[in-house]
Amino acid sequence: MKFFFHVGRYFQMLKRVFGRPERHKMYIRQLFHEIDSLGVNSVWIVIIISIFIGGIMTIQFAYSMSNPIYPRTLIGLGTRDTLILEFSSTMLALIMAGKIGSNITSEIGTMRVTEQIDSLEIMGINSASYLILPKIVAVVFIFPFLFIISVFFGLLGGLVTGPIVGVISIPEYVEGIQWLFYPYYVTFSIIKSLFFGFLVASVPAYFGYHVQGGALEVGKASTQAVVNTNILILLFDLILTRLLLT
Amino acid sequence: MIEVKNVYKSFDGVMVLKDISTRFVPGMTNLIIGRSGSGKTVLLKSILGLFEIDKGEIWYNDRNLVQMHEKERKKMRREVGMVFQGGALFDSLSVAANVRFPLDMFTTMTTKEKQNRVEFCLEHVNIEPAAYYLFPSEISGGMQKRVAIARAIALNPKYLFCDEPNSGLDPETATVIDKLIQSLTKEFQMTTLINTHDMNSVIEIGESVLFISKGEVGWQGANKDILQTGNKKLNDFIFANKLYAQMRKEDI
Repeated sequence: MKFFFHVGRYFQMLKRVFGRPERHKMYIRQLFHEIDSLGVNSVWIVIIISIFIGGIMTIQFAYSMSNPIYPRTLIGLGTRDTLILEFSSTMLALIMAGKIGSNITSEIGTMRVTEQIDSLEIMGINSASYLILPKIVAVVFIFPFLFIISVFFGLLGGLVTGPIVGVISIPEYVEGIQWLFYPYYVTFSIIKSLFFGFLVASVPAYFGYHVQGGALEVGKASTQAVVNTNILILLFDLILTRLLLT
Repeated sequence: MIEVKNVYKSFDGVMVLKDISTRFVPGMTNLIIGRSGSGKTVLLKSILGLFEIDKGEIWYNDRNLVQMHEKERKKMRREVGMVFQGGALFDSLSVAANVRFPLDMFTTMTTKEKQNRVEFCLEHVNIEPAAYYLFPSEISGGMQKRVAIARAIALNPKYLFCDEPNSGLDPETATVIDKLIQSLTKEFQMTTLINTHDMNSVIEIGESVLFISKGEVGWQGANKDILQTGNKKLNDFIFANKLYAQMRKEDI
């Protein structure tokens, strides 16, 4: 029963979120602020994680393909496809659910417990729309860029790490990442990242918006938000993969 | 004028407001007093429409809040200024930006006009220009309350609601806040409702006082009469503080 209550309340909140904005200019200003604070501020962590994961993947592929029967180019291909199909879309979304999601829940939750949201409502402002819509638009907008950045730096990580540890040469790796490339994989992952962006912004916003109590409850809501967003990301990953790849 | 007629409100079957009827007069500081948990915040939030009442009517002049659609309520709320217990200033905005926020949202003023209005409001609550670009976390509790008042009056409201405006403040600052609200009420001819359990506020500025006891109207009148009523519940509330018991003896 509780599950249906939350689902119902989530969609009710979305209905308010997509209500007509009071002042477009204020929303656009807020949108740029959110793109900066939620998106641009996440670029560094995405780059660092992607470089390391790209390097680690290259080493692991090289280890599992140590049999000389496999061509070395498979290492580059494996790294590329894993990055495009799963890591840079799904795994990155899980990481971002922790970073961006907890940020959104704690920000909106704190506004709720300190009556700042009531204050917006008293002014006659649709608080759900004013606070949540710019965040959703910003995260959905920035996620495909984060995906592209992640793929690029992941491949770069493999390119640097492989030759350094001596598991693959640069020409073999470069040939591998170009071998049997299907552009549709990129389209598929960008579609996934748009869905995940929506989940990463809207689910934590739901938990923050409906928090009741004080600082302790805001912390609990943050944890709940991250856990639930992660589960939903994995569920949607499964559904989208079934629908778009098979 | 705000008029409340036979208002009932319950939460999960527990009746919190029972048959509340009263009038709040324009140009006066109307105080709602009562013990913690007596239902005064529920009454204030019900009058604002933040809580839906079970039964009764809430009139803003000739408009019944209960029958208003969401759009009408939004429009009506633009005539309302609210000062929350903790100030409820937006953490991410500076003092000046907090006061400018409702102007940005609802007016077509030019930047210069907004600037002038912000300065006018902040001067009225005695905030120095040096504090205009500080953030709420960088100013004292008393200043936060004054900025909250400045924000509440930015749109020239007809109605001013204050939820325990001097809680957590030292007696001197609390008196400053009380006097400030009273003078703004007179100057702008607002209908002001103050929710408090501070007897100093009642004595200082309580031109019209509504005492709520266990969700019911316990007494209503002016502060000059409050020490002399024979109302037992009200007396228990007031004379819990020995200072007022002493004042009453001296009066007699």
